[in-house]
Amino acid sequence: MPALRLSDKPKPISLPQFESRIPKPEELVVLSKPLLDATIAIGKALVNCSNKWAIGGDVAEVISGVNVNPSHIAILTTSEGCDEITNRLAKYQVGPARTVERELEREAKVGLKPYKVRIKSYTSRLNVEGSRLDVHGHLQIKVGNWDWGDPLDFEPDYVYVVNLKLPIIPLKMKSEIYTGLGWTDRAIKIHEAVRRSRHMFG
Amino acid sequence: MPTTITEPAADVVLLGVGYMSGVIAAELSIASLNGGKNYKVVAITKGPYWDYVNDFSTTKYDEWGVGLGRKYDSPLPLQSATIRNTPYQFALPVRRYTMPIQYHALGHGVGGAAQHYGGTMGRQGPWGYQMLSQTNTRYPGTIDTINPHNDLEDWPLQYYQYEPYYVQWEQAHGLCGNYNGSATNSSSDTHFPWMSQNYPLPPHPLTPVAQSFQSAAEALGYHPFPHVSSLASQPYTNYPYGVPVNPCVYDGYCGGPCDYACETGAKANAAYRTIPAAMKSGNFTLVVNSFIFRLDTDPTSGLVTAARYYDPQGNVHIQPVNNPGAVFNGMWGYNMIRIMLLSGVGAPYVWNSDPTMVSGAVGRGLTNGYLPYKGTNVSGTLSNIGGNAYPAGNGSGGSVDIYDLMDDNFDHAGLGFIGGSQIGAGGYPGGGPGNITFAGGVSSGSMGATFKATQKDKYLQTKTTLSATPFAPDLPTKDNYVDLDPHYTDMYGDPLTRLTYDWTPNTYIGATWLAKNKVAPLFTQMGAQNVTVGSTVNPGAAHNDWWGHHLRGGCRIGKDPTTSVWNSWNQCWSPGTKTPFNIFGAGEITNTSGDTVPSGTHVAGAQSYRAAEGIKKYLALMTPGLLLP
Repeated sequence: MPALRLSDKPKPISLPQFESRIPKPEELVVLSKPLLDATIAIGKALVNCSNKWAIGGDVAEVISGVNVNPSHIAILTTSEGCDEITNRLAKYQVGPARTVERELEREAKVGLKPYKVRIKSYTSRLNVEGSRLDVHGHLQIKVGNWDWGDPLDFEPDYVYVVNLKLPIIPLKMKSEIYTGLGWTDRAIKIHEAVRRSRHMFG
Repeated sequence: MPTTITEPAADVVLLGVGYMSGVIAAELSIASLNGGKNYKVVAITKGPYWDYVNDFSTTKYDEWGVGLGRKYDSPLPLQSATIRNTPYQFALPVRRYTMPIQYHALGHGVGGAAQHYGGTMGRQGPWGYQMLSQTNTRYPGTIDTINPHNDLEDWPLQYYQYEPYYVQWEQAHGLCGNYNGSATNSSSDTHFPWMSQNYPLPPHPLTPVAQSFQSAAEALGYHPFPHVSSLASQPYTNYPYGVPVNPCVYDGYCGGPCDYACETGAKANAAYRTIPAAMKSGNFTLVVNSFIFRLDTDPTSGLVTAARYYDPQGNVHIQPVNNPGAVFNGMWGYNMIRIMLLSGVGAPYVWNSDPTMVSGAVGRGLTNGYLPYKGTNVSGTLSNIGGNAYPAGNGSGGSVDIYDLMDDNFDHAGLGFIGGSQIGAGGYPGGGPGNITFAGGVSSGSMGATFKATQKDKYLQTKTTLSATPFAPDLPTKDNYVDLDPHYTDMYGDPLTRLTYDWTPNTYIGATWLAKNKVAPLFTQMGAQNVTVGSTVNPGAAHNDWWGHHLRGGCRIGKDPTTSVWNSWNQCWSPGTKTPFNIFGAGEITNTSGDTVPSGTHVAGAQSYRAAEGIKKYLALMTPGLLLP
């Protein structure tokens, strides 16, 4: 059957149009496939890990809906957990676990004054299917000349990735850390993600 | 003055941006899923982009606007459809949203109908793909008696061949559940849709009624399992796209008659699962509020060369397709058929009073994948289980189902019907604004003292009313079909879709038998009182007045290009003047036979991944043509 004659009646649609703006690509939250695959591989390897651990860093934020761009995966755990995780992921290990102290590129801003930020942890670095993984045991933070903080402790939240139930550092804890460091832009990103995930009256 | 604008050509053009097109968009635009190839994908939808926070978090509490004004749905003034029950009737146009379809959604905008559906999912079992051959083997010579003017066909592939595509669909959209009832979950157990991988999310918490149903079903030897839902039960990141998904917050408003909009994005649909990944790829262009009215074809090759659409200002846009390039028809329901008929793509179905003289495939085999509105019903009362029905819960969680009473999972010899249905109970009682009366009219029960009396225990229930309307598959016949209406047009002057359809006997015979012999005993086993099989409906005693959701078939995949539109790769092989083999399609309307499960979407979803693979194969061909099975 041939196509019907093309309509010769083009005219404006006089119907109400929703005005929702199409988001720009940079506004959309997506975890890249290499990091996603590495996260799944890590989660499978650590299903029965006996020490407390959780995905931290920017990956934890992305899989919670926060719009950041992770470059690598970070795990927070204890020193014992760092050893156990390193053993479970031994085939991916790059170097031996050791205590590492370093200065972050971004400074804290407390009371409008900038302060250097240092972190210290018992660290193991791995390469999981092409993605960098840093395992931090007993991570501590030091701001300026203040004392080192206590090792970060947490009760993880959980996110499913395929059939894996992955522990992640709670957004609430990250938001508090960012606020304390004066990184309000990062705290605002978290608040935006939380806003989109909650009932408006809840 | 409206003008004509030619857009840059694309490798893949998507017609509509619902569930199925979302899969194609993500799979084709993301280079890492295509061996590094950067296919340019353009998707066109007549509706808007929906942002679940901005569009639903406040506006969905407008019960009048959503429920009656249908502000989220496809505007009828733009296009409607005409319906009739037989080819001898004059079809009349649908001029307003009326009972019963006003409880249900039509596709409009990014995400399509899935922006506001209940979220029910469930795989089709092995029997559903081989209804005809299995019936002819086990009950030889009966199908033509059961289904006059039978037009039932097997699918081109069997369940085990679709199984990997189901897994992809479920992981991309974050479905929750816990297997499908098989005691072994073995591929040798052909009574159940076995799973190579479980659903990626755990089921929603079961209600007390669901637990009662579960115990009763087990006591009767059935195999209950949690209802499969597309409403995320937990925070989730989908695979392989890496899109984070918010979990259900159980505010209850997505259930009931308030049109199912979700304000956290927990309800799966393309806008919040697949399209974000496509948009992030840099290879994807989204065109909204634009009405596709024609496909251009090359008179020599027959291939589709462009899609034409109107923008809201009345300009005509021409969206060319590269050669090699592909078009994916992901339009909602019968719109998929209509655009092909308007454009002369594929062989249109031509009905004849002599069933041996029918011809063509586009429009052929229309069925309804759901239960008849006026069907045989079973009811009962559980006086020992109450409930809190203040809006809480969601539209498709909390219940338990069995597959034991569908497909050929019980002996049908001498019953006069084939198949059956999924039976379940125990959904969350708080489902949206339950006091809305959409079309009941004024009666003594809907006003005054009688009405007030019914409200006393409406939200803090002291007992539970059980109700089920079982059914058997609506089977394709040569008398149920879709074509273009010769009398009525859309606002641009093009013919409307005309649905010629009535329920087939299999549905009603199966419903009555199941109600009396299977469902009523189940309710009794649960401890229900006053179990009643009400208003038995015989075939021909009630007629279809549905024109909206849950339609299946009409644009079927199949094994024979003279009777089906799409081959096993969901590639068009229906010969019009030429065979337009660069157009692919998937949707509930491409499901070959009347469904045995309530979610034709889930069944079509597997097809969408099959189609994506087919398009990739097609684009990689040195000489484009029909793909080998």
